[in-house]
Amino acid sequence: MANTETTLKECLASIEGATGAALVDYTSGMALGTLGGSKTFDLNVAAAGNTDVVRAKMRTMEHLGLKGGIEDILITLTDQYHLIRLITGRGGNGLFLYLVLDSKRANLAMARHQLKKIEEELEV
Amino acid sequence: MTVVDSPPPPRLPVRDRATAHQRVGGGVSPMLTRLAEERATGVLDREHGTLHLAEGRVVHAESPLAPGLAELLTAHGTLAAEAWLEAEDSADEGRLLRYGITPGALELAQVGALHDAAYFALAPSSTPGRFRYGSAHWLASVHPVPVAVLEREMLRRRALLRRIWPDPATDRAPLIRADPVAAPTVPTRQAAVLEQVDGVRRAVDIARELGRPAFHTLVHLRRLASAGLVAPQPPPAPDAPPDDAAADPYVALLKRVRDALEAL
Repeated sequence: MANTETTLKECLASIEGATGAALVDYTSGMALGTLGGSKTFDLNVAAAGNTDVVRAKMRTMEHLGLKGGIEDILITLTDQYHLIRLITGRGGNGLFLYLVLDSKRANLAMARHQLKKIEEELEV
Repeated sequence: MTVVDSPPPPRLPVRDRATAHQRVGGGVSPMLTRLAEERATGVLDREHGTLHLAEGRVVHAESPLAPGLAELLTAHGTLAAEAWLEAEDSADEGRLLRYGITPGALELAQVGALHDAAYFALAPSSTPGRFRYGSAHWLASVHPVPVAVLEREMLRRRALLRRIWPDPATDRAPLIRADPVAAPTVPTRQAAVLEQVDGVRRAVDIARELGRPAFHTLVHLRRLASAGLVAPQPPPAPDAPPDDAAADPYVALLKRVRDALEAL
């Protein structure tokens, strides 16, 4: 059992190289909680923008007739990884966890595994 | 040769974008900003909804245009309706938790419901708001939101809807299905909204039916409107000449484009 704040704290504390995390509602584009980030990296803006990424992928999958759901989406920048992990809650609202990693310090396989575990503990 | 001095033509009215921006920057509700500064506790009644404040922060919101926290929690079986009534009667947040809802789930539901109702409560209104000082709402400790944060989110939401489809007609009116010639495929969540469109229901009725936040339904409806699948129910027009043009899909499309440009 975990609430938003503890979940985000756990993301930053337990995942090596994590510099920011957000829990985002992808229909409204609102960040329900953010932690980390910096003056030059506004997690609220990133949250709203990445809802378009999730929506575009979902639409493409529907066009292709793919039945599976999205587990996570990885975006690789030259010096960062952005990891999006989708959550399907009972409330019927689509949420995702958004994680920013420093690619020099992060272990990608480990980060994905840990993010999956954190998502399973988050009860929404 | 005579020279006739004609007066210069009158200047055309121009929308002043600079001052429009300043108006928006001035805040969604000056009264709310003032209440935040004086750290007020009580209830702010506005035309389309109510905001509950505790020490200058917004702790709860209700609007007749959005499903309430109770409806959102009970719609998907997260909480039994009787459990909610009991907790509300005794104004005891702890009871909700004892009935099996987790603090995390309660917080997320409250954040969602608060922003959802606040969107309508803070919509531009024709009557002034009224504030009653009093005690804090019983769910005040779940997730207080600073007024500045709430106002920023409200402006972002208005801009989001405008970006999807600039005509707000689908937000309040009863809705009808429009059947374009080449209907695009509709994502599952939008399809659920589209199924509820029956010529009578409005956005808020659809949100209640599905147990979803009303703003989310507005987002889906604007996307459906931009795809030409949903339109507001036109008001009954007696003695209207038969409109053959409406049957032509290209004319219908051009009309939608014209309406959207006018709404810009």
